[in-house]
Amino acid sequence: MPDSFKMDNIPFSLLDENEQALVRSNLDLGYYQKGEKIITAGEVPEGVFVILKGRVLESEAGDEQQHVYVHYEDEDYFGGWSALRGTAIHDFIAEEETICHILPTRVLHELIQSNALFADYFQQTFSAKTEIVAQHGKGQDMTEFMLAKISSATVREPLVVEQGTTIQDATRLMREHKADCVLARKGGRFGMVTGTDLLDAVVLKGQGLDTDVSEIASYRLITADLEDYLFNALVMMTQQQIERVVVMNGQSMVGIVELTDVLSYFSSHSHVIGLRIERASSIDDLREAAQGLNDLIKALVSTGVKIRFTMDLLAAMNGRIMAKLFDLMIPSDMQPHVCLIVMGSEGRGEQIMKTDQDNALIFRDGLSWAQMQDTMNRFSEMLISFGFPPCPGNIMVSNPEWVNSVGDWTQKLSDWAETCEGTSQMNLAIAVDAKPVAGNQALFKVARNWFLRHLRNNDVFFSHFARASVEFDTPLTFFGNIKDKGQLDIKKGGIFPIVHGVRTLALEHRILATNTYKRIEALIEDGQLREKDGKDIAEALSLFIQLRLRQQMRRVEESDDGFDPTPNLIELHQLNKMDRDLLRDALQIVKAFKKHLALRYHLGG
Amino acid sequence: MIIPRTIRRLQERRSHRNGPWADLFESYDGDEVISLDCETTSLEVSEAEILSIGAVRIKGRKVMTSDRLDLRLKPPASLSGDSIKVHKIRASDLSDGIELEDALEQLLKFIGNRPILGYYVNYDIRVIDKFLRPHYGFGLPNKAIELSHVYHDIIKWKHIGGDVDLRFDTIASQLDIPIIQRHTALGDAITVALMYVRLKHGQAPVDTH
Repeated sequence: MPDSFKMDNIPFSLLDENEQALVRSNLDLGYYQKGEKIITAGEVPEGVFVILKGRVLESEAGDEQQHVYVHYEDEDYFGGWSALRGTAIHDFIAEEETICHILPTRVLHELIQSNALFADYFQQTFSAKTEIVAQHGKGQDMTEFMLAKISSATVREPLVVEQGTTIQDATRLMREHKADCVLARKGGRFGMVTGTDLLDAVVLKGQGLDTDVSEIASYRLITADLEDYLFNALVMMTQQQIERVVVMNGQSMVGIVELTDVLSYFSSHSHVIGLRIERASSIDDLREAAQGLNDLIKALVSTGVKIRFTMDLLAAMNGRIMAKLFDLMIPSDMQPHVCLIVMGSEGRGEQIMKTDQDNALIFRDGLSWAQMQDTMNRFSEMLISFGFPPCPGNIMVSNPEWVNSVGDWTQKLSDWAETCEGTSQMNLAIAVDAKPVAGNQALFKVARNWFLRHLRNNDVFFSHFARASVEFDTPLTFFGNIKDKGQLDIKKGGIFPIVHGVRTLALEHRILATNTYKRIEALIEDGQLREKDGKDIAEALSLFIQLRLRQQMRRVEESDDGFDPTPNLIELHQLNKMDRDLLRDALQIVKAFKKHLALRYHLGG
Repeated sequence: MIIPRTIRRLQERRSHRNGPWADLFESYDGDEVISLDCETTSLEVSEAEILSIGAVRIKGRKVMTSDRLDLRLKPPASLSGDSIKVHKIRASDLSDGIELEDALEQLLKFIGNRPILGYYVNYDIRVIDKFLRPHYGFGLPNKAIELSHVYHDIIKWKHIGGDVDLRFDTIASQLDIPIIQRHTALGDAITVALMYVRLKHGQAPVDTH
C-alpha cells in the first residue's frame, strides 16, 4: 500500500523498516456501507483494521447501539485484540461509509513474534501503553527536558583581551567585568585563561605580574555549537574535566557557557522562587514572588516534566505562599489558636493553574478575637491581588460561614453528612479534602478525626455520597458526535468521577491522605483496589489533567485578558491521533471504575 | 486496414484458442475485477510510450492492495518535457525500471481473464494493445469496465438536466473517496478501485449540484 497508510502512528511506528515493509505489502482495503458489521461478535476477524476514512463503533453483541464502548475514527485501529484472541467478543459496525486498511491476522502474529514492543503495545494494559508512549512519543516528560539546546541556557559574553595584556591587567579586567575567565587573542587564535591559570602562573610558577597572558593561555579550546544540546555540553565538561565550553555559531564565537549555568538550568527555577517566598519580608515582596509562579508552571509544562510532579511542586509553592501571608498578616499571639485550611483541589494538591481559593479557618472554641473577620476579609483580598481568583461559591475565609470554631466545624460536617441535598454534599466533598497550611494544625486534626470516626459504618451515607461520581455520563458517546460537537467537558466526564470515587473510598477506609494519587496508593496498600486498576486510574487521571492543561494554556495565550472562560473544555480536534487514542482508553477506565463504584455502593440504576 | 475491435477480437480468440495464452480468452464468471492504470508519455495512442503500470485486484467489496502490480518501465527515448508535466515522472525516476516485455508478461499473468476496470480505460487498453500485438499477436481480450460510465449510469437518475461532470477529481469528491497518490499508476488504480467498490456496493451518492 502506498502512502495512504501512515506508519508514523503508534503502534506501527514501533516497527523497524523491514517490518513496516511487511505491513505495506500485506494490507488490503475494505469498503463498508453505513450500518454494516465489519467484525461480528463470535466470528473470526480477518485481522486488524485501520480506518482510512469513516467511523466505526464497537458495541456489545446484539443490542443495537445500546452499549457503545468506543468510537473509532481516522487512522484509529481496531480489532487487534479480537484478531489475536481468535474470535471477536464485540460487534464492530460502520457508523458511516468506511474504508479500512486490513492487516491479516497472520501478519499481525508475525510482527508480534518479531517485535517485542509492538507486541506489548497490542497486549498490555493501559498504563503499560502510556509507558511505551512516554518512551517513544515525541515531546514527552524528561526526554524533552534533556533536549534543551545550548541557545536556551545562559551563554555568557566572553571577555577578550589582546596579546600583550599583562596578568595584572587581565585580572583587573576580570574583576571589573565580574568574569572568571578571559580569552586572549594571539594572532587569529583564542586561548582561554581562567582564574586558576592565573593563580598557577603567579603563585606556583612564580611568573611576574607583567607576564603576557597569551603565554599562559591554553589554546586547545573545547567548543560546542549553539544549536547543540545542552546535555551534550554537560557531558563534554564531565569528560574533559573542565568547567567552560566555548560556544560557536558556525565559524564565529558566540560566548561561553559555564558548568554552573548548565546545572542551574537543569535544576529548574523552582528553587529560586521558593527562596524568594521564604525571604519575603513584606506583602509586596511576597506578591512579586507569587507572580513568578505562572512562569514557572509554563516552563515546567513546556519542558514536559511529569504532570504529577508539577502538581506536587505547585501545591507546595502555593501552600508556602499562603503560610507566609498568614504569617505576615495574623498577629503572632493569635497564630496558635487558629488554623488555616485549604480545600477542594488545593487541599488535594491537584491544581495546576492558580485555581480559585477554597479556604477556611478553624479556631479554638471560645477564642475571643474581635478583628478576626476583618483580618480574614483582608486576607482574601490579598490572595486575590496575588492572582488567586475568588471562589465563585464564596468558599473562602472572607465568608463568615467558613470561619468556625472547632465545635461548630464538626457540627457543620455532620449536618452536611446527614442531608442528602446537593449543596451540602458538595460542601462536604470540598471539606473532606481539607489540608492545613498554616497555624495550629492540631485544631484541624481534632475535627477531622472526630468526623472520620463519626462516619464509621454509616453505609447509607457512603451510598449517597458516592452517587455523585456516577452522575455524569462518561462521554464515550461524544466521540460519535465528534463532527458537530467536537468537544467534551473533561471534568464531568473523566476527572470528577475518578476524584470523587477515590475520595469516597478513602473516606470509608479512613485514609488521611487528601491527594488522589496518594489515596489510590493507600487504597491499593489497604487491599481495597487491585494494583493494576489503581495504576490505570492514576494514569487516566494524569492524562486528563495533562490534556486539560495543554488546552488551557493555549486558550489563555490566545485570549486577550489571559483568562480562560471554559477551563474544563477539551477540544477534540486539537488532539492528535495518539492523544485521542489514549483519551478513549482512559475514558474506558473511568467507565469501568464507575461500574465498580455502582456495585460497591449499590447505586443500581 | 481498420478492423472493428469486436471482429478482431473474435479472430484473435479463434487463433489463440489452443495457444499458451488460451486462458485469457475464456469467459470470466467470478466476482473479481482488475483495476488498471498506465502512466504514459502522451495522450495520443500512436505516440504514447508506457512509463509505469499499476493494477490491483478487486474481490467483492475489497480492494486487495496486498495483491497488486506496480511496474516501472525503462525510460523510453521519447520521455519529453510535456509528459513530465503531466505525470511528474522524470527519466531519473525510471532508471531502475524493467523491460517492456517483462512488464507485459507480468501484466497478462496478473489480469488473467478478469474484466479490466479503469478511468477512460479504453485508452489504457489501446496503448497496451499497441505494444502487446507485435509480441503476442493479440490485444487484451478482457471485458472493459469504464468507471465514468458506471458512475454516469448511477448518477444520471439523481441528476436533473445538464451534463454529468465526469472529471476524475469530481467523481472522487462526489463519492467522498480519498484520492490516493494522484499521478502514480498504482495510486490511481487503487482510487478507481475504491470508487468502483463504492458505486457497486454503497448507496448512490447524493448529488450536491
